Amino acid sequence: MSLTRRELLIAGGLTATGAVILPSLAPAQQPKRGGTLNLRLWDPPHFDLHAAGGLSYKLHIPMSFTHGRLVRHKTGPSVTPGTFQFEPDLAESWTQPNDTTYVFKLRRGVRWHNKPPANGREFVADDVVYTIKRFQETKGHANAHMLRAVDKVEAVDKYTVKFTLKEPSAWFLDTLASPMVVAMVNRETSEKLGDLKKPESFIGTGPWMLDSYRPNQGMTLVRNPGYFIPGLPHIDKIEIFVDEDNASRTASFLAGKYDLGWEFPGQINRTDWVQIKDTLKQKRPTLKTAEFPANVMSHISMRTDQKPFNDVRVRHAISHAIDRQGIIDAVAEGVGVYNAAVPAALKDWAVPVNQLGEGAKYFKHDPAEAKRLLAAAGYPNGFQGTICFTTYGSTVLVDSTQIILKNLKDVGIDAKLETKEYGAYITSCFYGKFDSMTYGPQTPFLEPDSFLYGQYYPDEPRNQSHIKDPVLADMLVRQRRTFDLAKRKEQVAEIQRYLAKQQYYVTTNSGVYVAVWDGALHNYGPNIGYDYGGRLMAAWLNR
Amino acid sequence: MLRRYLAKRLVVAIPSLLIASLIVFTLPRLIPGDVVAMMLEEKAYAKDLEELRAKLGLNRPIYVQYFEWLGRAVQGDLGESLWTRRPVLEEIGQRLPITLELAVMALVVAIVIAVPVGVIAAARQDTVQDYTFRSAAILGLSVPGFWLATLVIVLPAIWWGWRPLTGYVEIGKDFRGHVIQMALPAVILGIAFAAAMMRLTRGMLLEVLRQDYVRTAWSKGLRERVIVLKHGLRNAIIPVITYIGTQLPQVIGGTVVIETIFGLPGMSRFLFDAINQRDYPVIQGVNLVVVSFIVAINLAVDALYAALDPRIRY
Repeated sequence: MSLTRRELLIAGGLTATGAVILPSLAPAQQPKRGGTLNLRLWDPPHFDLHAAGGLSYKLHIPMSFTHGRLVRHKTGPSVTPGTFQFEPDLAESWTQPNDTTYVFKLRRGVRWHNKPPANGREFVADDVVYTIKRFQETKGHANAHMLRAVDKVEAVDKYTVKFTLKEPSAWFLDTLASPMVVAMVNRETSEKLGDLKKPESFIGTGPWMLDSYRPNQGMTLVRNPGYFIPGLPHIDKIEIFVDEDNASRTASFLAGKYDLGWEFPGQINRTDWVQIKDTLKQKRPTLKTAEFPANVMSHISMRTDQKPFNDVRVRHAISHAIDRQGIIDAVAEGVGVYNAAVPAALKDWAVPVNQLGEGAKYFKHDPAEAKRLLAAAGYPNGFQGTICFTTYGSTVLVDSTQIILKNLKDVGIDAKLETKEYGAYITSCFYGKFDSMTYGPQTPFLEPDSFLYGQYYPDEPRNQSHIKDPVLADMLVRQRRTFDLAKRKEQVAEIQRYLAKQQYYVTTNSGVYVAVWDGALHNYGPNIGYDYGGRLMAAWLNR
Repeated sequence: MLRRYLAKRLVVAIPSLLIASLIVFTLPRLIPGDVVAMMLEEKAYAKDLEELRAKLGLNRPIYVQYFEWLGRAVQGDLGESLWTRRPVLEEIGQRLPITLELAVMALVVAIVIAVPVGVIAAARQDTVQDYTFRSAAILGLSVPGFWLATLVIVLPAIWWGWRPLTGYVEIGKDFRGHVIQMALPAVILGIAFAAAMMRLTRGMLLEVLRQDYVRTAWSKGLRERVIVLKHGLRNAIIPVITYIGTQLPQVIGGTVVIETIFGLPGMSRFLFDAINQRDYPVIQGVNLVVVSFIVAINLAVDALYAALDPRIRY
């Protein structure tokens, strides 16, 4: 995040005076209109962002093409992956009269896709109110924490929306900009169809519109001729393929079928990349690549409210037991990054492990020290436990878990792997319903608050380790109330240093993405996050 | 006599179908854990647990549920997919032709390869041709279909930059493209069955060719083609036909992997996705259709068997 609150408010104020800020999408070359971009994505479980099962990248990614948000993240080749700056989307400006009030002025003339029942109706303030309330009224929403601060949302007039928060929330704009939270949904469609699960309900204000959906096969998105930024998007059609077989995906990419790497977020898994990069040099010599750390971070969660994990020495021992570099060498071709409580991928916020102060030492693989700590905690012969787990269909994850089991065994912790089917895992262990330990990846958020508040604040659904630490809770709340960016950065760093000492979760490494895109695709810059549509909105094809 | 035989087989098929329907209905209900709660949390198929239980008819005694489901199934109503919200029969109707086409094409491929090769191998026993065909059959049996499919997809892309023939081309939109696209998975699926069928054809034909009446045919000076094909193969082929009937479920089972690799939206892949989506009406419906289909095929095989061998009817 490189904009301060002051800069942000100035930007908002400027636009309020009449100067409309358009997204920073100005290309260096003359763009070319037309063409079809081919992507391998996933089949969405359904099309309702707010229903259970809609909290899936499988839906969020297509939605980034078709739906708008009040605020978005800047995209393009000039953006450093892992960093995020705000820019207006459906709101042309915003002000913050006090710490708990935000007022958004909407762009005029924004229209819903010209499909029934929305039929190109103008997007107005009531639509924002409807979307936010629909989100809030969803029972058991896994991302509920992201909008919990919102007390009231009102349409002041047709083009003005006022948010009143229960308490100051410095991350509010991040929440609104997140491609996984508050994309604006259409009221008429929801009311007519009962919900938004069917493909015909996939109506937004975004640069592309759903043209056809073929279950298990893919979907076609076509350019929205009524998009509110004149001239955008440049690409006429987005052809999305569902391809569930890795061999097929690899072959398709080699043969030039896909324009972006076939894995999220437009990358190729390093293990595949190492095998095909030489062939790709011959077959697709104009391919462009960029490497940056992934924000997908796995960790070991523990029942810190119960023995033996309520003893910090046991948690330190577990962290010492894990051979993070060994995992990187074994499953990631030796390329990876260590993570503190905030993944290293979030460059503006993550504290490098070697700068964590006293807690840094617990990231060192030291089985002897782990055994000593276990003995000191009263477990000289270790103990038995379980690790709840699901494969996510990832061989990398399975291999990492095997190494973790061995590492734990080496220091006397005999952990039995309890492998669950994905759905059973998500509804139980992912939300802290387990007896001993759980290991697996976490949702790849784009700001640190979701990693911190969402996973460490008492009684949050994602607080898998059952943490109730008043000192930490106070720190988490304070950073949320700090609008001064420099101060908040220091608070977030302090929290990470504190958490390194506590080891409530034992984090492992993240991979380093190899983002790959076709040489014919111009004005495209890869980044972490689900906002494929945002990153491609001002890109063009020159085949 | 043939009619009476068929009527008897038909009567026997009815209890088989009923038992199968009971298993199809009961098994999803025996899955441990509260599946309905899981369905609700993961997929939001209803507003709350009670509504979902009512939607699935789970708020009534299980025997009532079974008879209601069976009664509707007999009338062609397999319920509504929780996932797509469309009638299960309609969903199956869209996908079944793709799976059937693939399975039938695979069987045709298997028969076209296996029978002539098996006949030649038997007629030329212990020659170079026989050894070559038998070795090829062992290779065909040993190579897993998914591995072969992977090679067929990846290697042309690496060597010649060919795009794999994945994704579905509708027959009405592009007939040639459709046939080309279906041919490769059908050949891959058919190879393993061809290998086993070839070995069976060869073995059965060898046995028949050693019979006295064949020796008599040779001594009468009949041509080899007539002896092998008319007198030998007709008798040897009966177990092969039975084998084809019993292998059809295996072929349909094999389509799950092949449909996934080649991106074909067939019924097998639909079943696989329905399991992932916890779409129980679809799981039950697809299984019932498959079971009914297999019973029907076995009935057809029995009829063919009886037509080919009059002894069966008596």
